Amino acid sequence: MAGIDLKNVTKIYGNAVVAVDDVSLEIKDGEFMIFLGPSGCGKSTTLRMIGGLESISKGDLLIDGRRMNDVDPAQRDIAIVFQNYALYPHMTVAGNLGFGLKLRGVDRGEIDRRIRAISEMLDIGPLLERKPAQLSGGQRQRVALGRALVREPKAFLLDEPLSNLDAKLRAAMRTELIKLHQKVGTTIIHVTHDQIEAMTMGQRICIMKDGRIVQVGAPLDVYRNPVNTFVAGFLASPPMNLVPGRLDGQIGLDAVTGLAALPIPEALRPGYASHAEKSVTVGLRPEDFHLLPLAGRSAPVSVTAVAIELLGPEVILVAELGGTGGPEIQARMPRDFLARPGETLTLHYDLTQIHLFDPATGNVLVRPRIA
Amino acid sequence: MRVRWGSFIPHLILSAFSLAILLPLVWIVRVSLTDKLTAYKIPPEIGHVGIENYIEIFSAYPFERWFLNSLFVALASTAISLPLATAMAYAFARFNTGGIFLRLGVLASQMLPPIILVLPLFTLFFTTGLMQTHLGLILAHLTISLPFLAWMLVSFFEGDSASLEEAARIDGATRWQAFILIAVPVAAPGILAAGLLGFILSWNEFLFALVLSGADTQTLPVGLASMETHAGVEIAPLAAATVLSLLPVFVLLPFLRKYLIKGLSLGALK
Repeated sequence: MAGIDLKNVTKIYGNAVVAVDDVSLEIKDGEFMIFLGPSGCGKSTTLRMIGGLESISKGDLLIDGRRMNDVDPAQRDIAIVFQNYALYPHMTVAGNLGFGLKLRGVDRGEIDRRIRAISEMLDIGPLLERKPAQLSGGQRQRVALGRALVREPKAFLLDEPLSNLDAKLRAAMRTELIKLHQKVGTTIIHVTHDQIEAMTMGQRICIMKDGRIVQVGAPLDVYRNPVNTFVAGFLASPPMNLVPGRLDGQIGLDAVTGLAALPIPEALRPGYASHAEKSVTVGLRPEDFHLLPLAGRSAPVSVTAVAIELLGPEVILVAELGGTGGPEIQARMPRDFLARPGETLTLHYDLTQIHLFDPATGNVLVRPRIA
Repeated sequence: MRVRWGSFIPHLILSAFSLAILLPLVWIVRVSLTDKLTAYKIPPEIGHVGIENYIEIFSAYPFERWFLNSLFVALASTAISLPLATAMAYAFARFNTGGIFLRLGVLASQMLPPIILVLPLFTLFFTTGLMQTHLGLILAHLTISLPFLAWMLVSFFEGDSASLEEAARIDGATRWQAFILIAVPVAAPGILAAGLLGFILSWNEFLFALVLSGADTQTLPVGLASMETHAGVEIAPLAAATVLSLLPVFVLLPFLRKYLIKGLSLGALK
């Protein structure tokens, strides 16, 4: 078990391409950390630097307080589960599981004991004598996980290991991994671009973009208090609606977007006062639109339905905010909701969940945090 | 029954090709079992059939020496070139050693007509005492097989194998262990196929063997050529010798086919 500490870590390829730019992050011992971001944001490169598969151009990597920049990957005692599993094709499942232990000179009996224990835990006992080519995707994934677990390393690095699985298996493996972490308690860094994985699995999310960390925090905290439009638009599905607007009025301080006006609640006004009469980007979560008013904290907004998406447990309403010609938004409605295209509806927006961003920088306008 | 032209025409064309390849072989086998007079008769006659020619090549010619020389030179040159070519290909694929220039340089050496190398090798071997020795011929064959095999093997170390080695390094393997325990076994089908091709290359090589070998070190291709004497071509014993010289290649062929199919590496990655 180990804490992992990144200090101003930078990765430059060749002499021009900056893949990871001045990343500082402290991952606590036993923490389940998620690296989330779009393709090419540097999350996998950061993971590979921690594992030792990429050199670190600048900055320091500390594992358990010890500087690891120049330590061979073999000596770091860290396990990686790769996206493509990377099982050794010429070895049986048992051979794959035991490979790392054999290299470390663990004696035969102990290797057998650990392989048995892991294969029982992951339910791959009957597969031990098979070659990877004879396994299904889910079985390979479990073997790859087993190969990491059997060594009892200081930390697990998971590089999008669920992305090749079908939806059902992926959901099952998500739960398995959470349970696994509760059981072994080892530090886990899980790289993903899937925000459901990010929200459900980790204790903290580190959101990256263009090689930099954008925001780090507990999943719900990041969801409720995004620091900029990137995070707001990336987390959750459907993501936050971001519509151009203006902060209007000296006393009432309404956020105006096209034809719709949303009065800012009393508690939030002081924070926004300095921005009065300026243009803003208004962030509205799809799940904060309601069919009925909420006592004392919602305002009616008129929308024109464009389309509805029936998802089963819920309905996504695509509508124009403020009436025809307004900016298009998505709202999460109950499963029995129905609307015809062109129909005008009145929805109620939860005013405590208004987010305002600076349209020039995309950064959130600071306001009292909502827990 | 309706004739299925869709499959008939390809079969017809393939049969013609097969005949073009097989007929000379069948012809040689026929000639090897008959005598010189019958061999030349047109239209062909079956006539006398016997194994006298096979006996003659062992009694009148040093066939077994040619055969053993060829076998020794081919095995030795393959045994030396295969590990070297494997290491070379690995260096090209993993570390881009020497960049594109070295890679192209290796390929360029394959484009030289062998005759250009023969003269310098002759002078070199003459001064170093390697003329007419097995070692000299083995070294000469290395100049052909090493670049060829290295070039052929590069692709087996590119792609999948790199990520498997990374997994091994994370598992605790050194670079050397990752190479020996993971990269080489995964590339084994390719390495075996390359080895078989290297063997055949050396087995069939004529020019270097002609110039650089002596009476004691003559290989099969040179020996076969020597059966063309001032008294004419000893066509019947020559055919018998040719049939026997084809045997090793026929023995190796099934392995070559099996290993060229890279079945082993399937299923390693997703």
